[in-house]
Amino acid sequence: MSDLKLRHLEKIYDNNVQAVYDFNLDIRHGELIVLVGPSGCGKSTTLRMVAGLEDISAGNLIIDGRDVTQMPPKDRDIAMVFQNYALYGHMTVYENMAFSLMLRKEDQNEIHRKVLAAAEILDLTEQLNKKPSQLSGGQRQRVAMGRAIVRTPKVFLFDEPLSNLDAKLRSSTRREILMLHKRLDATMIYVTHDQTEALTLADRIVCMSMGHVQQIGTPIELYDSPANLFVAGFIGLPPMNLYDVLIKDGTASCDDFMTPLTAEDCWQLMQYEGKVVTMGVRPENVVPGGTITVNVMQNENLGQNTLVSGTVGRQKITCKFRDWCTYQTGDQVRVSFQKKHFFDKQTTKAIRR
Amino acid sequence: MSQYNAADIKKDRLRFTKNKQSSGLILLSIAANALYFVSIYSSDVGGYYYRFFIVLSIVYNLIFMLTAFLASEGVKNYKLSYAYTAIVLGALQVARIFFIPMRAHREPNPVVGAETLTVMSGGQFRYVTACLLISAALLICAGVIGIRKSTVLSKYQAELRQMNREG
Repeated sequence: MSDLKLRHLEKIYDNNVQAVYDFNLDIRHGELIVLVGPSGCGKSTTLRMVAGLEDISAGNLIIDGRDVTQMPPKDRDIAMVFQNYALYGHMTVYENMAFSLMLRKEDQNEIHRKVLAAAEILDLTEQLNKKPSQLSGGQRQRVAMGRAIVRTPKVFLFDEPLSNLDAKLRSSTRREILMLHKRLDATMIYVTHDQTEALTLADRIVCMSMGHVQQIGTPIELYDSPANLFVAGFIGLPPMNLYDVLIKDGTASCDDFMTPLTAEDCWQLMQYEGKVVTMGVRPENVVPGGTITVNVMQNENLGQNTLVSGTVGRQKITCKFRDWCTYQTGDQVRVSFQKKHFFDKQTTKAIRR
Repeated sequence: MSQYNAADIKKDRLRFTKNKQSSGLILLSIAANALYFVSIYSSDVGGYYYRFFIVLSIVYNLIFMLTAFLASEGVKNYKLSYAYTAIVLGALQVARIFFIPMRAHREPNPVVGAETLTVMSGGQFRYVTACLLISAALLICAGVIGIRKSTVLSKYQAELRQMNREG
């Protein structure tokens, strides 16, 4: 079992810049937690604090009931996989994977057994005698993962491990990480700025911005019920369409369009009658047919879907239609909004009852 | 691997690890040889060493160091021929004792007034002989270990190939 408890973690650098504010999270054994957010949001800093590579300015880090806040990295029993692989160029794959165990002065035969087992899991058996320079990016990243696996650590940390890979390799390596997680039943913390990785890998996602945790939840929770405007705008590709609308008489309206509200929406927005709120509509919830006219500016066919970008009056809109569409610039399409999200304009928090 | 015993694992390890033991021994032998020639070349005994054989000695030292270094890299990768090379170099190191050190130790000192002494003192003779013997022993050990490991590995690889063929 390897549970993690991050209690009120804060990071303040020597120049008084605060990178992480009051980070609280309980991670259960075998869970894959993804920290996601834009550059500079504090996700890597949080990970490095867990690894022991950054001092924790305030708060506690508890692994398996043991407070490891002041413990040096080598004693925390944590393995980290870096974006740039951090492999030893002069060593073979086998030596790279065995190195940490050699430093621990483990039995040579045991090291051999562990390295071969990890190589088999990662499909690296044929590459064991090669040097990192002879491997592809994906293989190098697998070696980096192998180096972590052989140590059988309590917690695996991944710091944007797929960022250096091309799109195709990224997708396949992502699947490998997911399979690895299931196979090892290991506790993992994974940092990425790529929301696709976050949504596909995570048991739970921690969405961060400016050092603050914005929302913690399952991928579907973050996607379907974003806690605030930041999460709504960050999670989802293309991002959610956001409009300031006036709530009145069962409708949400602005200068450019008016859309009826469902009974549930009206109930939720009861306290906002006559007030302006921010309404969010995901591109896939914009469907053809309705009273809102979109002036098409761009038509992008993605195979199964078509992304249509345009304007509704002065407002920009992105629609994701399920069919193969062939709209031309200047065409007009009538649409309606299905599921809508509402956010308080002042607090930016989601309006829920 | 779990079904294999420790001896099998030890053999299997050879497939992925280098013979650093032999390689290290050869590098040490080069160091011992360096101690030998530094001692000889820093001697100033009335120009005794400034003769034609010193040229041969210097050239041989260069060849020795190059060949020994190549042998160290070769044995590291389980090349049998380099293991034999190491043994030959070891034998030649022993033979060298009889070339400069022995002759210099028997030769009367040419410095006027020091005729009763020899070119190479007893102390220096023992020191350089020890250097050459150590160098030779290290080379021979490296060669023997290299031959043993290379043979084990090649047999093991043949077994694996056979097993693969039989499915």
